Amino acid sequence: MLGFIRENLSTIIVGMIVLAIVILAIRSIYKDKKSGKSSCGGNCASCGACGCGSGLHPPKQN
Amino acid sequence: MGVKIALAGNPNSGKTTLFNALTGSNQFVGNWPGVTVEKKEGKWKGNKDVIIMDLPGIYSLSPYTLEEVVSRTYLITERPDVILNIVDGTNLERNLYLSTQLMELGIPVIMAINMMDIVEKNGDRIDTVALGKKLGCEVIEISALKGNGIQEAVERAVAVAQNKDVSVSVHKFRVEVEAYLESIEAMLDTTIPEVQKRFYAIKLFERDDKIAEQMSRLPNVESIVAEAEEALDDDAESVITNERYHYISSIITGVYTKANKEQLTTSDKIDRIVTNRWLALPIFAAVMWLVYYVSVSTVGTFVTDWTNDVLFGEIIPPAIESVLVSIHCADWLQGLILDGIMAGVGAVLGFVPQMLVLFIFLAFLESCGYMARVAFIMDRIFRKFGLSGKSFIPMLIGSGCGVPGIMASRTIENDRDRKMTIMTTTFIPCGAKMPIIGLIAGALFGGASWVAPSAYFVGIAAIICSGVILKKTKLFAGDPAPFVMELPTYHWPTVGNVLRSMWERGWSFIKKAGTIILLSTILVWFTSNFGVVNGSFGMVEDLSDGFLATIGNAFAWIFTPLGWGDWRAAVAAITGLVAKENVVGTFGILYGYVEVAEEGEEIWGTLAGSFTAVAAYSFLVFNLLCAPCFAAIGAIKREMNSAKWTWFAIGYQTFLAYAVSLCIYQFGTWFTTGQFGLGVIVAMLIVAGFLYLLFRPYKESNSLRINVSSITAQKVKA
Repeated sequence: MLGFIRENLSTIIVGMIVLAIVILAIRSIYKDKKSGKSSCGGNCASCGACGCGSGLHPPKQN
Repeated sequence: MGVKIALAGNPNSGKTTLFNALTGSNQFVGNWPGVTVEKKEGKWKGNKDVIIMDLPGIYSLSPYTLEEVVSRTYLITERPDVILNIVDGTNLERNLYLSTQLMELGIPVIMAINMMDIVEKNGDRIDTVALGKKLGCEVIEISALKGNGIQEAVERAVAVAQNKDVSVSVHKFRVEVEAYLESIEAMLDTTIPEVQKRFYAIKLFERDDKIAEQMSRLPNVESIVAEAEEALDDDAESVITNERYHYISSIITGVYTKANKEQLTTSDKIDRIVTNRWLALPIFAAVMWLVYYVSVSTVGTFVTDWTNDVLFGEIIPPAIESVLVSIHCADWLQGLILDGIMAGVGAVLGFVPQMLVLFIFLAFLESCGYMARVAFIMDRIFRKFGLSGKSFIPMLIGSGCGVPGIMASRTIENDRDRKMTIMTTTFIPCGAKMPIIGLIAGALFGGASWVAPSAYFVGIAAIICSGVILKKTKLFAGDPAPFVMELPTYHWPTVGNVLRSMWERGWSFIKKAGTIILLSTILVWFTSNFGVVNGSFGMVEDLSDGFLATIGNAFAWIFTPLGWGDWRAAVAAITGLVAKENVVGTFGILYGYVEVAEEGEEIWGTLAGSFTAVAAYSFLVFNLLCAPCFAAIGAIKREMNSAKWTWFAIGYQTFLAYAVSLCIYQFGTWFTTGQFGLGVIVAMLIVAGFLYLLFRPYKESNSLRINVSSITAQKVKA
């Protein structure tokens, strides 16, 4: 087992870094979804594309 | 103790600019009315205990629009400590109409006359001291854009709030009208605070049905109102409106002097050309052609080429590869990082410069006031097929991102117009479709100047044709609702505002590349590089043996009549449903973006080799018009509030996209190669059916469903 880890240490480390990036990406999407933002930051405030400030949020689901 | 200041004023009077200046916030400012539809809260930079609330722009405290309901409900129920009434100095008389209503709320009011720099430039004069005396409130001159007088305005507002001086001077109407109002006031119970009684009395007199929601007991005032209407020979609401304007006329004389009463302003002179009956449309077409041409084919291409060829071609991938090779990282992980993540995410990021250039242009057009004119221009055309110019606002917003565009349709009160707008808004190419346009224009058409602008006009044409066709169905028949919109004065936008808008839009795409696109590219890489060969599962040598190829081949036949029946194109179009940039990201992985770059060949060479020009344009049009990304589909579902309507919208969009793309490919191939086959006959039948739907007689509908209450109730709840 130790031998395998020693042999593939660089792959394991790079793999962990990629995994960490993936987890961060999922976390960011989850947080945005929870706060009502869409992929384009469709909450308007972060999108800005809409030109409507932070208005027009979807109704919050309680 | 904290002080709450509410910024209230007419649309486009500069509230959001003032809010940003006072709070250091980055709310987008657009030069068209209705930029703020919901209230926004921020803390004053000068004192964090001072909370500033930016309310939507409104012309009155009537309950007719969403903006009015949001502002009014906040002012009545939350009762801020002071109202900072922003008044557009260039439109004093109309702005004072709202001021007279704000002063009836029993909340101290400070009036800030904005755009004083323009007033002075026009040679007009406002005697603010005299105006303050006549109105009974403090009047301060400001220029929110230049930052003049704004701190003083807030300081005065804070001082008034801290003094708790609620004795706001209230104007009086004619004696007869006052008598009726007093009778109504006497009928109000003690649950209504003394200072608000006049406001409630006027609203009851106006038969404002929404005011009942704010009252625990509703007195029956109908007999008083009916008597007043008979005695004054007018309906109650008009009586109050007339009284207000009488009052405003009486105080404005001697306070406001206009230098050039008859002369046209610069804005008027520009509008004579820009909104001219014959010139307006060619000018709009030329402007949008220029915007897309410069963004995609000139400046944008130069920077995008550098990003694609050098940054994501010669610098980053070789550097990462050398690190991975030197540490002896496993081949499969190298493949995932270089051929998956780098190829997919890099391909999308490569188009960010083009997006940023486009966003600068759009922000400039929005901020200077031109886009508001476009809504006015489009109203003339939209009206012909049953939509109002109001439907253009969501489409304008949709050019950045379809999600807020779809949500912006909420402001359309007419139910059928709203549904039709939701269905057609995503035809306008959003920012996420920009990489697809850039890729097709650059790689398949050698940067031809007409490709990118044509994408925008295909979107507009799809909206107009859909409007004509849908309006002739029973579901959508009926006259469009009237569209009234104030055209703002043209002004040079500040560099900060344009750059802020560009960055906020651009950043959301960069963030998306690092999240959704990243995850998608990893999934695409795994599914395309792994598969079952000779009965054993493992990494495949040839991507066409992978799982993704198997899935793609199952769908590819559907797109064969469209000219791109290759499994890679089919997969790209389907992954575009997650996010439209994914189309480019998927191509990046499946066409070996990084490998090609390393060999020094043209970056998208293999892609160009597998598409004919006609098939590429068919692919572009399909992706522009078909079902939008999942986020936008979710927005459609929320706004339609019906699964049936959502499926109808998505089905219509996809069917239209398929039909148009099929016609483009079949006719295009016929004209370019002379090949005539079954596909061309089908395309001819589609065109014949389309022309029939377009020109068949119109059947008038007598029913009109207005959905104000449900929309407003939903908004207030939110």
